Amino acid sequence: MRALVIVLAGLATSASAQGAPPGALSCTGCHALDAEATMPLGAFSAEEISAALADYRDGRRDATIMDRIARGFTPEESQAIAEWIADHADKE
Amino acid sequence: MVAMVNIPETAAPGEIVEVKILISHPMETGFRTGADGKLVPRNIIHDFRCLYGGTEVFRAEIFPAIAANPFLGFFLRAVETAEVELLWTDETGEEHSERRTLTVG
Amino acid sequence: MRLTRRTLVATGGTALALPFLNRAAHAQGRGRVVVVGGGFGGATAARALASLGHEVTLVERQPTYWTCPFSNTVLAGLNPIESIAFGYDGLSAAGVTVVRGEAQGIDTDASQVRLSDGSLPYDRLILAPGIDLRYDALPGYDEAASEVMPHAWKAGAQTELLRRQLEAMEDGGVVAIAVPENPFRCPPGPYERASLIAHYLKSTKPRSKVLILDAKDAFSKRPLFEEAWAALYPGLVEWVPVSMGGKVVGVDPATLTLMTDFAEHQVAVANVIPPQRAGGIADASGVADATGWCPVSPETFESALVPGIHVIGDACLAGAMPKSAFSANAQALVAAQAIDMLLRGETPGAPKLINTCYSLAAPDYAFTVAGVYQPVEGALAEVESAGGTSPVGAPPDVRATEADYARAWYATITGSVFG
Repeated sequence: MRALVIVLAGLATSASAQGAPPGALSCTGCHALDAEATMPLGAFSAEEISAALADYRDGRRDATIMDRIARGFTPEESQAIAEWIADHADKE
Repeated sequence: MVAMVNIPETAAPGEIVEVKILISHPMETGFRTGADGKLVPRNIIHDFRCLYGGTEVFRAEIFPAIAANPFLGFFLRAVETAEVELLWTDETGEEHSERRTLTVG
Repeated sequence: MRLTRRTLVATGGTALALPFLNRAAHAQGRGRVVVVGGGFGGATAARALASLGHEVTLVERQPTYWTCPFSNTVLAGLNPIESIAFGYDGLSAAGVTVVRGEAQGIDTDASQVRLSDGSLPYDRLILAPGIDLRYDALPGYDEAASEVMPHAWKAGAQTELLRRQLEAMEDGGVVAIAVPENPFRCPPGPYERASLIAHYLKSTKPRSKVLILDAKDAFSKRPLFEEAWAALYPGLVEWVPVSMGGKVVGVDPATLTLMTDFAEHQVAVANVIPPQRAGGIADASGVADATGWCPVSPETFESALVPGIHVIGDACLAGAMPKSAFSANAQALVAAQAIDMLLRGETPGAPKLINTCYSLAAPDYAFTVAGVYQPVEGALAEVESAGGTSPVGAPPDVRATEADYARAWYATITGSVFG
């Protein structure tokens, strides 16, 4: 499990806040969207992020903290967040 | 029931001394529902007294609005070497007490 | 190189501060935003608004910012002070005009921030002043006392002072930490501090002890901290809650004594964390209420008391959200988004915000509390289905994983805010 962990991933603070759906901006507290991201999310599509959020929310995926966060968002909110992240993350 | 008490051991005749007590107690109001959805039974301290040399010198009636772990502080005039006794009664009617000797001279 | 606002101020006042650019900016729905305070909240907001094309000026007193997050690792000797120090070059490069100075007051009628050498006009103002330590709240504890009994609740010189005292202490000494009532900056911070100091003492001064004198009967992540103390530092950490007489009611710096109503504790090192309030400019500008903190709209973080001023981070009353760097960052981004919309004539919707807070009990042992928040009847309330702490009783590899995540979080957030 520990090996997986460092694959954490990233979004960018400086990514434009314009049009961000509710909750999306808080993701960047851990997942920088640009440069030097320790927890990059840029490698993932909207579908992958949305599916991961659903799995965290429903307890189907091992988590330390994302399960507790994902439960705070409806499927629609999670989908909107996933699409915004996929649009704004740097693809490397 | 744990209580912490602070009364000076010695005082000059006529000196005003502060008595402080902190009683570890939930002061359950009886209005709160527990995790099972039922009302938590009332459990408060009702009556508090201080005897100095056997004479009542301070008394307080306590109600559910008082928060948990009540802290009481008040002042006595030290007139004689005698026992200071703090007494309080809980929900079951049982009386608890703490005693200290105040030496005056 | 472009002229800085400071240069303009110095050479003739802000009345001539590029008025034609401002008009141009307005025409495109852009505006002048002044941000006071360059901590996690202020720096995040300044950067986000600059990236949205607004003309942003950040006013900050100090050239260097030392983060409170991870400052406890410096106390424990795990990291050097330089590892928590950040400058403002990254913000300048991101298009923020950084003015080194102190906001003296706000002229709300003219929408100007007064500096010692001029003033800055704004369309929207963000105050992110963090906390002031209340030197009037604890008898015996004033600014001079803090040079003997450090608070180390603003990182930097105070962190270094407390570290030197811990290093100089002889084995067998008692390190006291006095904790105030809520609300205060970083609710789990005192207990993380106790843990990491115990980590240092265990290996270097094992007969010593950490004594926490607390004005509260409960604290954030308590079961997790108590589990960690029992497992990692048996007998080394003692917590005295208010119901056991833990509330410190006075201090004597001359004798390093902390007084409660029932005992006097003369100790080797005294870390006194006094009660707090919003940073001074909040009170001076009328955005703080009788509590000393700033009520705000949960949608936009605009002050409930003074229109046009937004208050973010530790200084604001953010309902159920705790005062943390993560919260400040999340609030800054929501406020920036709202300000951008307001300047373009749009109406911000209801946001959702997240807080995540890591606490290290040892270098390879951490746990978290998380929460998701949304406006409910005018205040930020926790989404009930979400949030909570790491589980009690989790195996060591989970604690180690969260410790890795804690470091990753710190690297990421400091990189994205100050990098």
